[in-house]
Amino acid sequence: MAGAVKMRVDRLTASYDGRPAISDITLGFPEHAVTAIIGPSGCGKSTFIRCLNRLHETTPRTTVEGHVHLDGEDIYELDPVRVRRRIGMVFQKPNPFVTMTIYGNVSAALRFNGRHSRSETDWAVVRSLQQAALWDEVKDRIDAPAISLSGGQQQRLCIARALAAQPEVLLMDEPCSALDPIATSKVEELITRLKSDYTVIIVTHNMQQAARVSDYTAFLYLGKLIEFGPTEELFERPREHLTEAYITGRFG
Amino acid sequence: MIDDPLADTGRPRGYDLQIRHLKERAAHMGEWALGMVHDGWRAYAARDLAMAQSVLDRNTELDRLDEDMEHATVAFLVLRQPAAVDLRTAAALLKTTTHMDRIGRLGFDMARLTNLQAEAESGDLKTLLQTMDDTVESMVRQALNALLNDGVDLARQLFLRDDTVDRMHRQANQMIVAELSKKGTSAARLAGDLLVARHFERIADNACKIGEKTIYALTGQRRSEFLPRHPIRPYSLEGPPGP
Repeated sequence: MAGAVKMRVDRLTASYDGRPAISDITLGFPEHAVTAIIGPSGCGKSTFIRCLNRLHETTPRTTVEGHVHLDGEDIYELDPVRVRRRIGMVFQKPNPFVTMTIYGNVSAALRFNGRHSRSETDWAVVRSLQQAALWDEVKDRIDAPAISLSGGQQQRLCIARALAAQPEVLLMDEPCSALDPIATSKVEELITRLKSDYTVIIVTHNMQQAARVSDYTAFLYLGKLIEFGPTEELFERPREHLTEAYITGRFG
Repeated sequence: MIDDPLADTGRPRGYDLQIRHLKERAAHMGEWALGMVHDGWRAYAARDLAMAQSVLDRNTELDRLDEDMEHATVAFLVLRQPAAVDLRTAAALLKTTTHMDRIGRLGFDMARLTNLQAEAESGDLKTLLQTMDDTVESMVRQALNALLNDGVDLARQLFLRDDTVDRMHRQANQMIVAELSKKGTSAARLAGDLLVARHFERIADNACKIGEKTIYALTGQRRSEFLPRHPIRPYSLEGPPGP
């Protein structure tokens, strides 16, 4: 595997009400690469990604066993707020703060992370919107309500908001599932660009999307990690029979 | 223990039928090419201009089959967006039809050599060329069978048979060189024989390529992963047949 490992998951098991949703998962996420997590509905993809920034534990009656290391530090031994600052997340449906402006949405991430001068905030908002490939479309209406943006723009605004906190890792849970093909292609292009600055982990139902945007792919089935490897390799000649069955559509 | 999801489920039957149909079309194209080789050699050996013309006329259909196959395979790639064994099969079919086209063209080239005044071959050289024809036709048939029926072992056996054809090719070259030094032999006929022997050798190579792509489609293994490379040494056209 090329490059250093940014995040390492070691024997991770996560449960709801004592029932494991994912079991004994071990893998390393390469730095400055996009890793896709694929698998059928209910296989534990979203649970897994929510364990990577300690969101899983915010749901009542859940447990997590095992370790998640970020640059060698176990995130379950750190302050969860600090963890989420370093590991940002973008969700399935765009969830801008509806009462806020475009500027307000992005600057909110900075306000939650300490005091900044107005000029620092302005600079961070512009930089984040540029990184999210949204700046050119909103620079003339930065004080317009976030809700006035299209679905695809709202999702990129949420990405900009996540980037404003300057995370090291960006988690994306099916970020294009609510978007049309044009908005999807913009977000996919953005994901590819983001990897030069961030380590990106994306959950997707769409195998073609995983093939298009990711460098590595992990296939989960019934809460187990079945196969992990370079995306090209996994989609061309998977090692495991179950992976082959899933990606060739032989699952009922 | 994870249950095997293949045990009681399946994907749409149309998908598998489409792959089967693509393979059958490829095999049909291969049979067409093989017919051109069979009749191209027969026309050359018998100096039969009418048969040669019929082979030359079949080239248009070979081109059409090649184009149709490419169109159908690309449509499958675009519409189904296959992965794993299905992706490899589609990629292999695109390549194998190129080799089938080349096989057909080598039959076409033999037919074009038919217009010779010199009398037909006789003796050992004729026997050897006939054996080469029998062997390479059987190899092409074996390659098509492997492609159509998922025969990895059949495909692997082709490489051993290719060594046999290479030996026959060397032997034919040496016999032709030996005949050139005899008085009264036709240089034009021997030049034709030299080319025909070379065409048989290329047909065997193309049959192996079809086998190679079949193995890739079925197992994911590329040539370098299943076929060790042997050193190739020069051989003398003047000497007795080498090993």
